[in-house]
Amino acid sequence: MGREILKSALMAVDEINDHPDFDFSLAAHVRDPRGIISEYHTVCDDLIRSAGVEHIIGCYTSASRKQVLPIVERTDRLLWYPARYEGFECSDNVMYVGASPNHNVLPLVRYVLDNVSRHIFCVGSNYVWTWETNRVTRELVTAAQGSILAERLLELGESAVGHIVDEIVRRKPPVVFNTLVGSSSYDFIRAFHAATTAAGLNIPMLSCSLCEPELKIVGPASAGCITSSAYFESIRLPENLAFVQRWKARHGETSSPSVDGQSAYVAVYLLARALQRAGTSNIGEVRRAAAGYRYNSPQGPVWIDGGNNHCVLTSRLAVSNAQGQFDIFWESDAPVKPDPYLTQLDVAVGPAREKLKDGSSPSALHLRVVK
Amino acid sequence: MSKPSSFSLRGRKALVAIKDERDLSIVRRQFERLGIDVLTWELDGALGCHADVTLIDDEFLPLTSPTQRALLGQCPVIALLGTETPSRLKLLLELDPASFLVKPLRSAGIYAALVMAFERAERTNELRQQVVKLEERLRSRRLVLAAVLQVMHTHSVAEPAAFALIRRAAMEQRKTIEQMSAEIAAKGSLPRATG
Repeated sequence: MGREILKSALMAVDEINDHPDFDFSLAAHVRDPRGIISEYHTVCDDLIRSAGVEHIIGCYTSASRKQVLPIVERTDRLLWYPARYEGFECSDNVMYVGASPNHNVLPLVRYVLDNVSRHIFCVGSNYVWTWETNRVTRELVTAAQGSILAERLLELGESAVGHIVDEIVRRKPPVVFNTLVGSSSYDFIRAFHAATTAAGLNIPMLSCSLCEPELKIVGPASAGCITSSAYFESIRLPENLAFVQRWKARHGETSSPSVDGQSAYVAVYLLARALQRAGTSNIGEVRRAAAGYRYNSPQGPVWIDGGNNHCVLTSRLAVSNAQGQFDIFWESDAPVKPDPYLTQLDVAVGPAREKLKDGSSPSALHLRVVK
Repeated sequence: MSKPSSFSLRGRKALVAIKDERDLSIVRRQFERLGIDVLTWELDGALGCHADVTLIDDEFLPLTSPTQRALLGQCPVIALLGTETPSRLKLLLELDPASFLVKPLRSAGIYAALVMAFERAERTNELRQQVVKLEERLRSRRLVLAAVLQVMHTHSVAEPAAFALIRRAAMEQRKTIEQMSAEIAAKGSLPRATG
């Protein structure tokens, strides 16, 4: 996923440097911490002290972001964090460009409660994303008089998924929520598909993280997964059609952008536009310039909420298909205000209908069918 | 009836006593994100409204006014530490803080301090109520003992049988054993020695 983020960020840097609207050019200094958590601190320290970098785009896991946080706060730099995450953080030195939990977990669980079942079997990787996603899911499900049938956790990278798949086939839950990441998720999806097909079961699977490059890795077994995300390659907006075209021209016809990659691309554009607007790279000025400054990105209109430095964006639900793409069936009818602390979450209350003054929806979601 | 998430702090009121403008602005901004209303505490002025939590800077200590101390006793207190010296900690401990933060403040930590303060206050209240109940029961032990002795004497039964009689009478009359014992001790009206 780190490579996807890098590819997308560099693509945006090249575009901006070639674009006549920007009267400056961005110089990218690339460092690879190789996913080793302790390396993130060292690498960022080097970027800031040796290369004189002011804005950092990157980090995928929360663990890596937490390593970078003290340095960017101490040296007053800005980290543009592209990944969706579990929320409950709000640093003045981070721009959270990915989805907040109210953007992806809430619409997915509410959809399932309304349309699939109130009883959910959870399987996930044993780390903060799963813990917090499961907590929110449990609150929503419990308020709807449903239940969490099981909460099975696997260590990151674990491939022994057989016992969980066996349990699912034996217990036949109405729906499975998969918050596994990386190879564990791929192994699980393949084993789950094989076992449920052999048993003649049709159990829907849910995800908040599955993306097109992963569908290609997993293969046909990945079809049919109900997925919540701010970005899918299949979004039919002119900005996205052009983006995908440029992406394929650069990375190959069979290549697909991912949600986190696209988010890194958006992060670079939000940064560049804020730099242009501020007329300086001063952190405080750029932060102020970025707040509320709307950008028609591939995923639709997005902007930074000046109150919490998180991105206002459109929530979407889709089902993965056999062609390695997603068929979008729901999206919020306006960009949704980020709620990183789930302050507006009222587990038993249905979706609100009002719109806010800035054109965004309140964090409680209302969804519309997308043809 | 909808129930808010137990970790959602929306709608709570916080009394904030912070001297440093930067720290105060960080608290204000983070509280706004969390949906918490801020009431600024002017130490020399009276404050009539009720708060759900108080954040107090250790620079305001010691509190000399009994009114101020009483005000702090009404809700959980989060202490803002500028120094960890024992003399300062001693002053803070007098406020019985439910949680603390270390200055200079960052947005990180404030949410956790609030959740811990509310949880701590809730659990402390439960414990206090339990202590009150236990103290009442302890006080009434003398009455129960007196009633048991009276029943043992008048019915010529052993202590377990006497207690069983009192308990059965209490159940029949839908009273606590302590209330039944008080009646026996006061009126001399004994439960019938049947069964």
